[in-house]
Amino acid sequence: MPNAILDPTGTVTTSAAKPAAPRAPRPQSLRGKRVGLLINTKQNARPFLEEVGRLLQEKYDVTLTQRTKVNFAVPEPEDVIKEMIAENDVIVTGVGDCGSCSAAAAADGVVFEAAGTPVAAIITDSFIPTADAMAALRGAPGYKYATTAHPVAVLTEDKVKERAAQVIDDVVGLLTENPGKAEA
Amino acid sequence: MTAASTEGAAADTQVAAAPDPDEAQRAIEYCYEQGWSDGLPLVPVSKPLLDAFLATTDKDPEEIIGALEQVGRDVNVRTAAINAAMAGCKPGYFPVVLAAFEALLRDRAARGGGFQSTSGPSPLIVVNGPIRKELGFNTAGGAFGPGFRPNATIPRAIGLIVRNAFGVHPHVLEQATQGLPGRWQVCIAENEEESPWEPLAENGGVTGGVSAVTATLTRTMEFVDNRHTPNHEDVLRDFQDTISRIGSQIFPLSSVALVLCPEHAQMFASAGMSKQDVQNWLLERCGRTGAELSSMGKAEVARKTFRGEYEGDEAFHKFLAGPTSIPVVVAGAKNAAISMVVRIFGEWSGTSVPIVEKK
Repeated sequence: MPNAILDPTGTVTTSAAKPAAPRAPRPQSLRGKRVGLLINTKQNARPFLEEVGRLLQEKYDVTLTQRTKVNFAVPEPEDVIKEMIAENDVIVTGVGDCGSCSAAAAADGVVFEAAGTPVAAIITDSFIPTADAMAALRGAPGYKYATTAHPVAVLTEDKVKERAAQVIDDVVGLLTENPGKAEA
Repeated sequence: MTAASTEGAAADTQVAAAPDPDEAQRAIEYCYEQGWSDGLPLVPVSKPLLDAFLATTDKDPEEIIGALEQVGRDVNVRTAAINAAMAGCKPGYFPVVLAAFEALLRDRAARGGGFQSTSGPSPLIVVNGPIRKELGFNTAGGAFGPGFRPNATIPRAIGLIVRNAFGVHPHVLEQATQGLPGRWQVCIAENEEESPWEPLAENGGVTGGVSAVTATLTRTMEFVDNRHTPNHEDVLRDFQDTISRIGSQIFPLSSVALVLCPEHAQMFASAGMSKQDVQNWLLERCGRTGAELSSMGKAEVARKTFRGEYEGDEAFHKFLAGPTSIPVVVAGAKNAAISMVVRIFGEWSGTSVPIVEKK
């Protein structure tokens, strides 16, 4: 009997074998809610998210808080997650426009959701495969997020505002819809 | 018996003793089909080969030697050994692979998003000490390869660990825009014999001539060919010019490794310069003015930090922060004054890792 060829991937837990990360329940409306902006420090992420926040304030009279990601490339540490959950009803994070930060935005989303806080992650459309792969790794295959065209980093101030306005309906939809019900 | 039939018998014996190429090809194709390959053929690994690798270290096969937290994957000694064997390493190289992997994961950028990055960086691995000769590393001409098994297969082993054990695959979790030629292929053995200075490992804290590995990530490298002047300061200014290129500058501070050919290193030493003198000379001078940076759209870089104010057209911005921002290695042949400026992704940890072989 010949020797088997050994597998170099180690002990892999497939996404299917992982417990599915639950998606947070959504509020009916954002009216009067506390919205946390988690800014990932990539160029133009701050003005982009600030404009999203301003639009939400204008339309739904939300209260805003802001935080900068500790490290754009990896998911937030547990204590930051806990604090943000305590301070906010919903969270908007982004802008994922690089390999690691897009994946990290999806990963943060899944973690906040599992803890009961709805998230709208914003990612540029170049990084859909990596965001999807990360969400699946984290037990949330098919995790929904908002996309905007790549690139964002080189946009002028006015263009950034335009982009924020374009994505706002998707953000509201992600934070208020109930996909569990919709899919049923 | 005729001469012809004797030859025929000898040929038959040779065929019988050689391994079955058809079986080997099937095994190689099997590895491709599993998605394990970086594009080149792999050595199919069996239990006896794995055991030969594990026999070179005192480490427990189950010991976790690294994790990529964001993808929820870790790697133990056994899995690392399978990947090293697949890469074409000999069992005796495995302690070097383990030390290189440990050295690399000391880099914040490697533990963070380096392997997923659009920059697509490659490890830069530097080997010091007697192990260079023991394992047959190339320590002379053609330092960046190819042609030498340990130099070629050890960095490939690291690449396969990242691919297979961490699950970072191109176009999925790996998002390199263009990457670089030589990714997972850069392992140089310092030419200590022709270096006028202490080995890099000593700068990384491993003293006494102990074999050690130093590693960081690189985005690319650029040659400085200067065999045109007897004046060492002219040559230093040539390095200054290359290091100060704006295209590679994306943050206020950056890092380079200076891989000097023996001729350049000896020229600086003959002028009375230590390695630290060379570093300090360049630390003071590598950089650009605010006007130069902003004329190329990089006013962001001309700020003390990205949230600081633009400091003005006249302000001079040094690019290198300190000695760990410019490690110096001596490599290659003493046959021309050609050196390499290696662009570091992030910053070298400033430490080297001793190679521990089984007692």
